[in-house]
Amino acid sequence: MTAALTIDGLTVDFGGFKAVDGFSTVIHDGELRVILGPNGAGKTTLMDLISGKTPSTAGHIRLYGKDITALPEHRIAREGVGRKFQIPSVFRDLTVRQNLNVAVSHEPGVFANLRLAMPAEDLQRIEEVIELTQLGPVLEQLAGDLSHGQMQWLELGMLITQQAKVILLDEPTAGMTKAETSKTAEIIQALKGSHTILVVEHDMGFVRQIAERITVMHLGKLLAEGPMAKIETDPAVQEAYLGSGGIH
Amino acid sequence: METFFIGLSLSSILLLIALGLTITYGAMGVINMAHGELVMIGAYTAVLAGIYLNFNLFVSLPLAFATAAGVGWLVERVVIRRLYGRIIDTLLATWGVAILLQQLIRLEFGLSFFGIHIDGLGPGLQNMDVPSFLTQPFDFGGITIQPYRTFIIVVTILLALLTWYLLNRTAIGTQVRAVMRNPQIAAACGIDVRRVSAMTFAYGSGLAGVAGVLLAGFKTVQPDMGAAIVVDGFLVVVVGGVGSLLGTVLSAGLLGQINGIFAILTNDILARAVVFGVVIAIILWRPRGLFTFKTR
Amino acid sequence: MQGAPGSKFSTYADWAVYAVFIAVVLALPLVMEDVFWLNRISKYLVFGMLGLAIALSWGYAGILNLGQGLFFGLGAYMFAMSLKLKSYTSLQQGSDKPVPDFMLWNAEPGAPTELCCITPGSWLWLPFQAQGFGMIMAIVLPVCVALILASLIFRLRVSGVYVAIITLALVLLVRLLIIDAQPVTNGFNGLTDLGWLTIGGFEFDPYLVETYYFVAVPVCLVLLAARWLVSTRAGLILQSTRDDPNRARYLGYDVAAYQIFFFSVSAGIAGFAGMLYVIAAEFAGPSFLDITFSISMVVWAAVGGRNSLIGAAIGAILINTIEATASETELFKEAWKLIIGLLFVLVVLYLPRGLAGLARDGSDWLEARLARGKTGLAQKPAE
Repeated sequence: MTAALTIDGLTVDFGGFKAVDGFSTVIHDGELRVILGPNGAGKTTLMDLISGKTPSTAGHIRLYGKDITALPEHRIAREGVGRKFQIPSVFRDLTVRQNLNVAVSHEPGVFANLRLAMPAEDLQRIEEVIELTQLGPVLEQLAGDLSHGQMQWLELGMLITQQAKVILLDEPTAGMTKAETSKTAEIIQALKGSHTILVVEHDMGFVRQIAERITVMHLGKLLAEGPMAKIETDPAVQEAYLGSGGIH
Repeated sequence: METFFIGLSLSSILLLIALGLTITYGAMGVINMAHGELVMIGAYTAVLAGIYLNFNLFVSLPLAFATAAGVGWLVERVVIRRLYGRIIDTLLATWGVAILLQQLIRLEFGLSFFGIHIDGLGPGLQNMDVPSFLTQPFDFGGITIQPYRTFIIVVTILLALLTWYLLNRTAIGTQVRAVMRNPQIAAACGIDVRRVSAMTFAYGSGLAGVAGVLLAGFKTVQPDMGAAIVVDGFLVVVVGGVGSLLGTVLSAGLLGQINGIFAILTNDILARAVVFGVVIAIILWRPRGLFTFKTR
Repeated sequence: MQGAPGSKFSTYADWAVYAVFIAVVLALPLVMEDVFWLNRISKYLVFGMLGLAIALSWGYAGILNLGQGLFFGLGAYMFAMSLKLKSYTSLQQGSDKPVPDFMLWNAEPGAPTELCCITPGSWLWLPFQAQGFGMIMAIVLPVCVALILASLIFRLRVSGVYVAIITLALVLLVRLLIIDAQPVTNGFNGLTDLGWLTIGGFEFDPYLVETYYFVAVPVCLVLLAARWLVSTRAGLILQSTRDDPNRARYLGYDVAAYQIFFFSVSAGIAGFAGMLYVIAAEFAGPSFLDITFSISMVVWAAVGGRNSLIGAAIGAILINTIEATASETELFKEAWKLIIGLLFVLVVLYLPRGLAGLARDGSDWLEARLARGKTGLAQKPAE
């Protein structure tokens, strides 16, 4: 198995407070990895570091062997990292179809895009994503008018359209109903294998549904790593979660 | 020394204008392009009070404060209240308000359509009389003191201190600061954000009115006198850091000094150009201003 | 009801508006015989171009430029310099080589009456002896300034109000520099008494129908080109950067590059407008760089519709035409300003999408009515 994402000694220091502190892990190609941790463990910060939103102070991030540690956000994205935010982030004043069109970004330059039509293969891919996310009936609606769940699926769909190799998902089911959550799980299951996925999530039901390997973070450090069964019985994990009532 | 003094008194008026702007902008996220017109209204209040009520400068000051505050309150109620959260739109709408206020004065509230003329209004130039004891320079330890300039500086210092006191040492000031930091949380804590906003806006407008009276003491009063000032005021606010009183004071001083130094080295026009250049550089370098508290 | 931005009907309606606009502009000289009005209208068409440039940067890119007058002014000055050197009156002032009259008045006694050295900096005028140079510079200079400014602003990720304040401060700064450089620019007075644009021996007297077309046709072409530009994928991506710059970044787009490109295009259009304006108005002055003028452009675009190129252009033309009609008497002129102020407040409060938004709602309503008629169903259109 090839390593998709290699994180090595990653550290960020916010004026003395280390939100992520010497964190290392290897995520393999096609793997689905869930990151757990109590509040303030540094999960979202880790996502910020990988996607380039926050510059790290030490350590390295490699994407299929290429060092992407110090690249700006759009360059990291072009290397193949896609990110979904906790609060759905879509282009609210554009239609759903326009959102998906914009997400086709293999030619990101200004001048390359001074044309009206899109290649047939790109249109084909958009159709596939529409199929997967079931956004067909709302294609011509403004994204800002979608329901919370639809907005989340649109954002997921945009990551697929973007052809991100590694997808970072920050609490993809936050604020969703049970039905919406299980549909989200379906979409994520469908991506498994063809994409490498990193999920931060609190909903344990959802985690059990999708997880293969789990990484537990605590105070910015790696606490435990392994399959679900092993993590649930790990004493260090139970201790870390004691304050918030254990994993539930 | 004398030029320094004149510069200082000009900076003082600029500071008064910027103080009003920084609390309205900081508290409500409103870019009030009509702020200059509130200065103008303050000046006209003094002119009219002098003509019709025979008020002198000292009585005109509180009257102008009240008038400008009243107009500001009205503008907040009618226009700005509907635009919270749309900062660029507040800029545009208040620019329309600015034209309206200017034209109301120029057209004598529309009476000039009927051939009625009100002495002290209209498109022409007006003057405000300054009591003679404030215009006679006197000697103090070998330095010539311009009493009116000194008066301006003293009034500004007093009002700046009063503003600081109101904001930091009173219950209403605490509410204003809470609204500045986060209006939603402030509302959740039971603060009547609308009332606080309206009062803050009225107070900032009142300061503009006072600045207008002080300005009228050495400049002719005309309907478009405020238009040029508001831009300078904004530059001071942005450089100082939005919502920061101390920042505004320091920034008014800084820009005033830069202007003064370059006016001596080159000329008035280039000095102003240098100030604009410095402001642009500062915004590019630190968009949040030079003297700001950190927010996330 | 929510208009469907991608529906066929609204696309056709949109193009129909463009077609009607262009037809009216091109046919106007056939019905309007008063050359003075024709000249006025050509100026307002130029203002329409300015409104369009504002809509492009404000509506589509979300960049409010309160200093668009800078680019307009630079364009106007560049071309006015060339036309000044063609001015007959400048020739008469005791030199066989044309030297602008104000340079003679500003020159030190005994200075050679040559463009190279009559006043300090007058050599800058040398290349403008070629009319084409002034024409090219009228677009190249604004674009270059915009490229530098936009690179600074957007690479440093300055946004929102701060962009507005920077552009405002910059237009004021350049205005002061122009006023201060009296020996080169004629300071406050600006460049007046210009010669006429001459192409192939034909002199474009501003009060000729030919000159009207010389202005009107480029305005129409720019309108169509800008419409094409925003319809491209790049235009769509630009709108996405306006909605959510971070999302666009995480999709791989270099947001700053898009902002810089469209900001510069907008500046280029404004510079071009400046050049055309000089042809019609025979004048370039520092008043082009006044704040009130730059903000007026924003007002035109807001009234016409900030999200519609043609809406903003029509807004500019309408407001100026009505103003010119109303300004026949002095009192009415002041009253008109009052109305403009009021109108503007009302538009911002109640009609944030401007006249174009109103028109779009009307077209959506019509579309719904037509659809209902076609299917023969008497149900209400879905909200």
